[in-house]
Amino acid sequence: MANLSVEICGVKLKNPVIAASGTFGFGREFDEIYDISCIGGVSTKGLTNASRLGNPVPRIAEGHGVILNAVGLQNPGVKHFIENDLDFLKNKGVAVIANVAGSTLEDYGTICSTLDGLVDMVELNISCPNVRAGGMALGIKPENIEEVTALSKSNLKKTPLMVKLSPNVESIATNAKAAERGGADCISLVNTFTGMVIDLEKRRPVIANNTGGVSGAGIKPIALKMVYEAAHAVKIPVVGMGGIMSGKDALEFMMAGAKAVQVGTANFADALAMPKIINEMNGWLDRHGIKNVNEIVDTLQLN
Amino acid sequence: MKELVATVKQVENIAENVWALTVTLPESAGEIKGGQFLNISTGDGSRLLKRPFGIVKAEGNDVTVCFQVKGEGTVALSQAKKGDKLAVLLPLGNGFVIPESAKNVVVIGGGVGIFPLVPVICGNKDKKFYSYIGFRNKNCACLLDEFGKSEKLTVVTDDGSLGKKNNAVNAYFEDIDNVSADLIIACGPPVMLRALKQKMQEKGVKTPCLVSLEERMGCGIGACLVCVCKKSDGSNARVCKDGPVFDINEVQL
Ligand SMILES: Cc1cc2nc3c(=O)[nH]c(=O)nc-3n(C[C@H](O)[C@H](O)[C@H](O)COP(=O)(O)OP(=O)(O)OC[C@H]3O[C@@H](n4cnc5c(N)ncnc54)[C@H](O)[C@@H]3O)c2cc1C
Ligand SMILES: Cc1cc2nc3c(=O)[nH]c(=O)nc-3n(C[C@H](O)[C@H](O)[C@H](O)COP(=O)(O)O)c2cc1C
Ligand code: FES
Repeated sequence: MANLSVEICGVKLKNPVIAASGTFGFGREFDEIYDISCIGGVSTKGLTNASRLGNPVPRIAEGHGVILNAVGLQNPGVKHFIENDLDFLKNKGVAVIANVAGSTLEDYGTICSTLDGLVDMVELNISCPNVRAGGMALGIKPENIEEVTALSKSNLKKTPLMVKLSPNVESIATNAKAAERGGADCISLVNTFTGMVIDLEKRRPVIANNTGGVSGAGIKPIALKMVYEAAHAVKIPVVGMGGIMSGKDALEFMMAGAKAVQVGTANFADALAMPKIINEMNGWLDRHGIKNVNEIVDTLQLN
Repeated sequence: MKELVATVKQVENIAENVWALTVTLPESAGEIKGGQFLNISTGDGSRLLKRPFGIVKAEGNDVTVCFQVKGEGTVALSQAKKGDKLAVLLPLGNGFVIPESAKNVVVIGGGVGIFPLVPVICGNKDKKFYSYIGFRNKNCACLLDEFGKSEKLTVVTDDGSLGKKNNAVNAYFEDIDNVSADLIIACGPPVMLRALKQKMQEKGVKTPCLVSLEERMGCGIGACLVCVCKKSDGSNARVCKDGPVFDINEVQL
């Protein structure tokens, strides 16, 4: 048994495997299938100040090796989460990462101050359309990223800030640096890639929102390169994700420079994906005589 | 709720484009109620989403679903071979909860919507069922033995090749004076359920009515909020967890 525990900006995780936002709710449903206290952390469904109903259905479609979703941030609002779900997650002994989103810049400040001191980490989702950026996501332009990061950070006196980068950008390294300049304690990536799936017979996009976010196994090579680039552009820790389906996938992200990983779509393909990934990581490390998972981080040797 | 690797026991073509798939679970999945469903992988790792199907029969560790071939996933499932391993997540959803007091139950089903109704009829021997079942044509008709366990069975088809040329909803309303139902249960395409709700309102039918809905799914267990339907008060409900069975007046159709 290798030592799988990791520490990211002061937060201790029993292993580096975190449930990715939006695929795991607040953990209750998966806990009916297995005791979720075995995973390292949970990034919650994206929270907003007020509750949101989200997009019309269908909200999901499928392509080869990928899925496409446009849930539209349906959530009960941050207060409801704090009152009803936070204690459940805390009692499970997993690192609680509150994933937050806003439709104005000010929203981010408010929600961060609401959560300050209550959760282990706040993860900024800056990939959603934002009023400030003229309906474009705040996570596209480096100057917007720096601004929203700085504002959020100024509202977090106790809780570390993780900024989740969108992959739909010109330069991931530039944006990672912008988050670091804004005061991020760590960054996570990738969020979903924008895409479309068409129903040929109906001559219409499958999902009601027309476009959605692409995730799952098929995005892994692109995500891996972006995580590598981001991890080598900044000094703060990086949490990697995008198409992780197995323990080997997770270790590749760590080898590319990630200190921990998040697992999203794999939870749909296999409800036991995360415990299996943790086991597989252990098995690989044991077979290679590696006693501590941290030894694998950033050990990629380029050709 | 369990995530298990099941072994394909039998794949059988039971009507035009309709297949019955029986898998053996490695262990019991616990109690399975009529109207609950399972999510099953299509056996190809490139299709990440499992497919939801109503559970038609559960006997020991054998579970049977019936499905119509629609797209790639159901094509693959129809070609599954005995011994193939398929991941399944089950049992899912609330199922039809039939109150003790309901003695005479009207069953309305159209197309692939008939499958989740079968275990309700087969599993509640103390109740009388009056079933109105619609198929596209006689080649699509299936599970008539199971529906034949009803006190009264009316089969109709879109083209009149089996039974009268009619749809299941109209067949019930034409017969409504002959059955005094304490409960209606229905499953079928959205147009059928909308027609049922509209007719019930028009005719002032106050009989409690449960409908089973379909929506595209991600997790199947209530975590991802992909599969929502609209409740009458404008809020969202998860078809996979809060449903798939709802009171007809509780949801917007
Ligand atoms: C609770 C529930 C119970 C169901 N029970 C049955 C049943 O007993 N028998 C049966 O034949 N069909 C049933 N369906 C519909 C069945 O799930 C779809 O026909 C099937 O998923 C189509 O898969 P595909 O790969 O062939 O089609 P594709 O169109 O290639 O599928 C692409 C994606 O869309 C999803 N999808 C497509 N149509 C539907 C639909 N109508 N509902 C939900 N997801 C859909 C698929 O699951 C897949 O994720 C049920 C659906 C739900 C939600
Ligand atoms: C259904 C669904 C909902 C999601 N919701 C959110 C969200 O609310 N906030 C967020 O930051 N990311 C959200 N994501 C993105 C994931 O957290 C993750 O970044 C992405 O899916 C890539 O990882 P994966 O390939 O392992 O799924 C969502 C993804 C899916 C599939
Ligand atoms: S499919 Fe995930 S909530 Fe219903």
